Amino acid sequence: MFLLPSTPLWDTSPPLKSSYDAVLIGGGLHSLATAYYLARDHGMTNVAILERRFIGYGGAGRNTAIVRANQRTQENVPLYQEALDLWPVLTRELDYNLMFYNCGNLNLCHSEAAVTAARMNIASAQFQGVGSEFLAPADVKRMVPALDVSDRPRHPIHGAMFHPPGGIVRHDAVVWGLAKGASEQGIHIHQQTEVTGIRAVDGKIQGVETSRGTINSPRVLLSAGGYSAGLSHRFLGVRLPISPLTIQAMVTQPLKPLLNHVVSSGAYHVYCNQTLKGEIATGAHMDPWPNYTTQTTAHYLKHQAEALTDILPCLRGVRFMRHWAGLADMTPDMAPIIDGNDPVEGYYLNCGWGYFGFKSCTSTGKYVAQYLATGERPEILEPFRLSRYKQHRLMGETAGAISYTPWN
Amino acid sequence: MSFLITCPTCGPRKGYEFRYGGEDKGPRPDEAGLTPEEWVEYVHMNRCVAGVSKEWWFHRDGCSAWFTIWRDTRTNLQVQVSNDGPEEQS
Repeated sequence: MFLLPSTPLWDTSPPLKSSYDAVLIGGGLHSLATAYYLARDHGMTNVAILERRFIGYGGAGRNTAIVRANQRTQENVPLYQEALDLWPVLTRELDYNLMFYNCGNLNLCHSEAAVTAARMNIASAQFQGVGSEFLAPADVKRMVPALDVSDRPRHPIHGAMFHPPGGIVRHDAVVWGLAKGASEQGIHIHQQTEVTGIRAVDGKIQGVETSRGTINSPRVLLSAGGYSAGLSHRFLGVRLPISPLTIQAMVTQPLKPLLNHVVSSGAYHVYCNQTLKGEIATGAHMDPWPNYTTQTTAHYLKHQAEALTDILPCLRGVRFMRHWAGLADMTPDMAPIIDGNDPVEGYYLNCGWGYFGFKSCTSTGKYVAQYLATGERPEILEPFRLSRYKQHRLMGETAGAISYTPWN
Repeated sequence: MSFLITCPTCGPRKGYEFRYGGEDKGPRPDEAGLTPEEWVEYVHMNRCVAGVSKEWWFHRDGCSAWFTIWRDTRTNLQVQVSNDGPEEQS
């Protein structure tokens, strides 16, 4: 028996054309999903994705694979809810197993204030038809016996918000699946192609300059994840209300099954889930100063070990095997910026997702594709205009249960 | 990655003793006749430079001094700059 040479799932070296109907800057999930839906729903296949490194290098491959739709505000929830509904649909459509595991998210409350915030979140979710319920400590213990619900931990567990439809998705599979789906429909994915400038004349987009030459296009979408705000300023002189922070994550050595839900705690700054390989994937900390290092810190590895073993004492003595960090482009109201044709016609923006970029990519790609193809802003994207900051109409996502600590 | 910041009072100290205070955007705008647009520009809008940037820091676990430094956002390291520094690269 011999092995056939492996063929890549997508065309890795399409010819670089001098003109496209749309150019998407960044080879992450939001660009890949946008390209996929541009072709599927709008017949736009003369589209290029330009990626400086390789697809999945950034947030697409650095997140903790958690998906959920239990956000706080009514503007945000529909987008996340549709994204959640799309995982099984896309698995079939792309003919590629995205390994969606809807194990549910358990969000721990460690104070009366957090319980109140959780009840508010739960009411908002139920109002919008999203599964969410409150659990008392005894129910939490029944659900995840490894959790210590006694008075011993530094921040005892007062209850939890349980969100059954959430869970985890294999993030690399989403990158590969969407790249395959986009490429099969004729989209060009150009890796190792750095955009060095955006060209606009008389308030209209003309195209982009790249490390491989000029590309003409009447539509340019900037969706470069954590790098978007710096590029917006560098290319167009437009500053955005964004701070790029590094968010750290790590996995332990593989263990026998002990965690059958995603468990998170705002007070401890921890979330964790057990991967199908048995590793406990955990993370959450952001160093609160902007940087592009994507490096982890000893400071946080120590904190993470202490916090994790305080709520899950059975993990004491377990070793971390790998650790990494990615960029989160944080906005002041923890909601994204999706806008277009302002101030330049044909220029579109999809960024500011913070640490929500992975869980939102599918539905957002679908609506951003509609926006690009028609020039008309879809109703669901209405709340995410950049101008909301100038009107001081920030969204209330920061009031979500996840932000509540024992000191609130 | 851990790094040091030089406080004008206390000298070089561990970065985690400090709180980041935002990009240096010049003096606070005059409140008389201030429009929401100008205020948002000052409060929220950032350059997000991937390179050397001038920014405010606060010695939270120390002498409580507010001061500006130049720091390379690609390495986290403080950069010594004479006069008013290099042209910011992005």
